[in-house]
Amino acid sequence: MLAASLQQEFIQKIPQKKEEVKLEVGVGFSEKWNAWDAGREVAETAIKKLMQPPDFFLLFSTIHYEKHGGFQEFLNGVWDVLPKGTPLVGGTVAGFINPYGCCAQGATSLAASYPEMDVSVGIGHNTKRDPIAAARTCAKMIKTDLKSSHYSHSFIYEITSGGTIPQFPGLGRKRVVSSGLISRLAPYLTGISLTMLQRGVGREEETLAELVRQFPDYHIIGGSSMDDNNMVENYQFFNTNISKNSIVALGIKTDLKIQVNTTYGLKETDVKLQITKKDRSERIIKEIDNTSALNGFLKKIGWPEDFIDERLYRKTMFIPLGFKKDDMLFPNVIGLFLGKNILVGFKLEKDDLILCSASGKSLLDSVDENLAQFQNQNNHFGLIVSCAARLETLGRNIYVTQEKLLKFFGDKPFLLIYAGGEDTYIPGVGQRHINESFNVATLSS
Amino acid sequence: MREDPIAVVLDNLMKFDDILACMVACKNMVSVEPSGGTESFKSEIYEVWDDVKSTMNYAFEMIGQHSGFGEMNYRVRDYEVMLYVLPDTETALVAITPFMANKGLIEIQMENARRKIQKIRENENMA
Repeated sequence: MLAASLQQEFIQKIPQKKEEVKLEVGVGFSEKWNAWDAGREVAETAIKKLMQPPDFFLLFSTIHYEKHGGFQEFLNGVWDVLPKGTPLVGGTVAGFINPYGCCAQGATSLAASYPEMDVSVGIGHNTKRDPIAAARTCAKMIKTDLKSSHYSHSFIYEITSGGTIPQFPGLGRKRVVSSGLISRLAPYLTGISLTMLQRGVGREEETLAELVRQFPDYHIIGGSSMDDNNMVENYQFFNTNISKNSIVALGIKTDLKIQVNTTYGLKETDVKLQITKKDRSERIIKEIDNTSALNGFLKKIGWPEDFIDERLYRKTMFIPLGFKKDDMLFPNVIGLFLGKNILVGFKLEKDDLILCSASGKSLLDSVDENLAQFQNQNNHFGLIVSCAARLETLGRNIYVTQEKLLKFFGDKPFLLIYAGGEDTYIPGVGQRHINESFNVATLSS
Repeated sequence: MREDPIAVVLDNLMKFDDILACMVACKNMVSVEPSGGTESFKSEIYEVWDDVKSTMNYAFEMIGQHSGFGEMNYRVRDYEVMLYVLPDTETALVAITPFMANKGLIEIQMENARRKIQKIRENENMA
């Protein structure tokens, strides 16, 4: 009934003169706990701001609806309000900022309507087992729909299933595996866990690389879906369906200009680590400076061994290991300690690592640094992807980030999601899947 | 009977797995509990409850003695006590979480709860 009444409202609102048709963007927000109620509210609050039915709908929520009705019920709530057939993509995130609040629990959305824009959405499954095939499938759907578009500016917004902690027999989910046989077998078990159970690293750098091969002329921004930093489960949303271990993407061709920019706020310390042995996946460091990865890391950083416990993530997220490629920094957060080996979130393409550090101030300064690139242009809205580690680091101070965004965007909408990893690609510059970064995309004229 | 809106804010905080107990309190007094009272606290909190209560009194003494206190966190055994002082008062929103919890995320929800409580108080004062 509600959907029908909103449809009717749209019909009544349709402007009579062609020149009145313009870009409309609405951001939705709900802090309700019940999945269906939150879904309904997050859709309603976004599309009520539009005169036209939305051309696409981005949808994000925290993991909490898993236990408060379930995500299918959440989506059912959304579709109770959203006009049937609206292209929808999204997923679970650690938190978000929009003009109305900063949240580590709730849902947010962005609905847009614009006549000078062609839109398509795609999905590919089994990203942890075969990320290239998943990205290709997703890309094919978008390419097919957009091949006849005459607009010159192209943009992809994608969400890929992020990493989860692998499950080890007899130990359950552990960030630190230090005992006995399992610790020696852990590097092999993580590989089996990844391909058989699809539990482990997200392989987002591989899906991104394939997307770039498929869309070399598109600007890309995206992130890894995740839960509340516990890395147990994450979900992707695609139209009326819920997925796991998938990539979902929105493709846009438009007359609006697209710009993407990345900043970090990380300091490159003087501590350098040389990888002398890693596994074939390039995600497990076996040796640093010709000693075991664990001992080499602890020695360089000056930590005692008993510092490595299940609270590891709270410590290492502030000191990512970075490498440089094509003059770009690739900060990579340590994920697990597997016996004497270290597992990181994505491929280490170089063996020379730099220990990076961050402070609350440097992270907040990087927001200003990033937004400065977008000054002096008519930005219509901003899509921002940042790292859950920054959310965890800043805590309540993310309100300072919101203040900066409100000051910059004024009455223009924006949506910032905190993801498990961040993806960008700028034609002619390059691609990066990284951690601990702040990435802004704007559509402007 | 009308629900206490501040208790509703606390009820929502209690929905987080990592918030074991929460309340609005000042020295020697809990002024608002969740709607279910202390029975809605998660059971593991009772092993440290006496210690938490006595340390909270020290914390509130400090809050009373020094103006401008915003937040205070401290550890009691394997638990963390988070106090978010309500502006211009000696009263705070208090939550007890496991020490292992992802504190940054909880901080955001504590800040949101503090803002909501503050708004409720302002509305009550205007009425």
